[in-house]
Amino acid sequence: MEFIRNYFEFWRDRYPSILEYAVQHLIMSALSLVIGILVTIPLAILLTRLKRNFLKSLVFNIANVFQTVPTIAMLALMIPILGIGMKPAVTAMFLYSLLPLLRNTYAGIQSIDSGIVDAAKGMGYNSFQSLIKVELPLAMPYIMSGIRVTSVYIISWVTMAAVIGAGGLGGLIISGIGFNDKNLIFTGTLLAIVLAVATDLLFARFEKSRNRTRRKTI
Amino acid sequence: MKKLTLLCTSLLLLVVLTACGGKDKETAAGGTFFEMGTQDYTDPKIIAYMVKELVEDQTDHEVNVTENIQASPLIITAMDKGDFDLATLYSGEVYNNHFDDDQVEYTTDPDKTLEQAQKLFDEKFNLKWFDSLGFENKYTIAITEDLAKKKNIETMTDLGKYAKDLTIGTDSAWIERGDDGYRAFQEHYDYSFKKANGLEISLMYEGLKLRELDAITAYSVDPEIKELNLRVLEDDKGFFPPSTASLVAREDTLKDYPELEEIINSLTDQINEEEMTQMIYEVDIEKQEPKDVAKKFLIEKGLLK
Repeated sequence: MEFIRNYFEFWRDRYPSILEYAVQHLIMSALSLVIGILVTIPLAILLTRLKRNFLKSLVFNIANVFQTVPTIAMLALMIPILGIGMKPAVTAMFLYSLLPLLRNTYAGIQSIDSGIVDAAKGMGYNSFQSLIKVELPLAMPYIMSGIRVTSVYIISWVTMAAVIGAGGLGGLIISGIGFNDKNLIFTGTLLAIVLAVATDLLFARFEKSRNRTRRKTI
Repeated sequence: MKKLTLLCTSLLLLVVLTACGGKDKETAAGGTFFEMGTQDYTDPKIIAYMVKELVEDQTDHEVNVTENIQASPLIITAMDKGDFDLATLYSGEVYNNHFDDDQVEYTTDPDKTLEQAQKLFDEKFNLKWFDSLGFENKYTIAITEDLAKKKNIETMTDLGKYAKDLTIGTDSAWIERGDDGYRAFQEHYDYSFKKANGLEISLMYEGLKLRELDAITAYSVDPEIKELNLRVLEDDKGFFPPSTASLVAREDTLKDYPELEEIINSLTDQINEEEMTQMIYEVDIEKQEPKDVAKKFLIEKGLLK
């Protein structure tokens, strides 16, 4: 009981700063995810339209390399170019998001039966119409699963951004380690988990409702 | 082929497992291994290699140094569990949330702080906190000489007049610390910065160079203070706690190996701030090995032949 009361007191004393860390965390995660989506989905579509395998594998290999750079090194390497704070953190997270987003979108469009695309063509759809009306909707489950996985990853990775002065929940955790305060570590971890789970649930609901409306229109 | 892979994997596992379980191994000369942990900044590393050199010179024992433990409370936990026998710690650690508020009395008096650390860590963790190595490495606030001259800032009180437009870079823990952290600082000096930016210690100087930070919580022995021509502000209202460096050892280890205590005592009061700053300069800026710098110092002092 004592522990719970202490923990409540801890929140009462610190909730403005805890919220600030959480908001920073959310902003960084959302920004990098949105930029990631805006860049990778057109890029993935372009890749499915490319005839040259060499270029495709080049792009995927680059995304692969970014993915394998250790988080702490990636953040450190950003500093000479972008300084400290949110800018390098968001850029690093964006680079990490490339591979899962790209792969899923690409796989989604590739997975579509070529017969369906041919049928669309036969009905007089041009390439753009076929993409918007047929291919993207069919690839959506893949794309969404890519976005969901990536968002959970990013929320977890952004905790590292605190070492380069970008704040976020990692700041709470690192403070807790340095100041020997388990409440800080626990709170930072808990909130990161809550954010990740909540985001995932949100996407899940979005997907469900989208499926429902689609079924209705068909 | 499958059999071969299996064989290789099991051999590898065996090697890894034996390497992990090597706690009770003997040295070639029949002595024991002492485990010493260091923080991720440079002064504890240099001191660890001094202890290593001395122990290996004077006894049959050897010292394993584990560098870059992210924070001192982790080192204390590891010592409490018996994973480390030795470490270099700073007296201000006593205010770092290890003890209840009624046990420890916050003071900026160096002797009283050290006394409390020696008493409390012995009682709670069974650790022997030795006398000072001779230098302090305390928190202080530093700004660029340019800014200091332009605005005529010499003390932390002076800084207050401009603080609302300035960003301070600090290690993340300082923002959340209790008696000696940013919260208490704002009350004590009655001003806040525009922003307090927590980041990795070594990046604070990077941030100053890039002009993204205006002030930083530097450590008093950091060679970058000289290197980057920074001005250390006078703590005119006596806020920051003292932080005297001492070697710390597990009482259990000392009981079994009393010769270790003698060696540690031989380092008492041997290193002053200037000497430590010079050594850190040689490691951080001239990129020499902490091991070589430590050895050179011991030879100069006549502690090692």
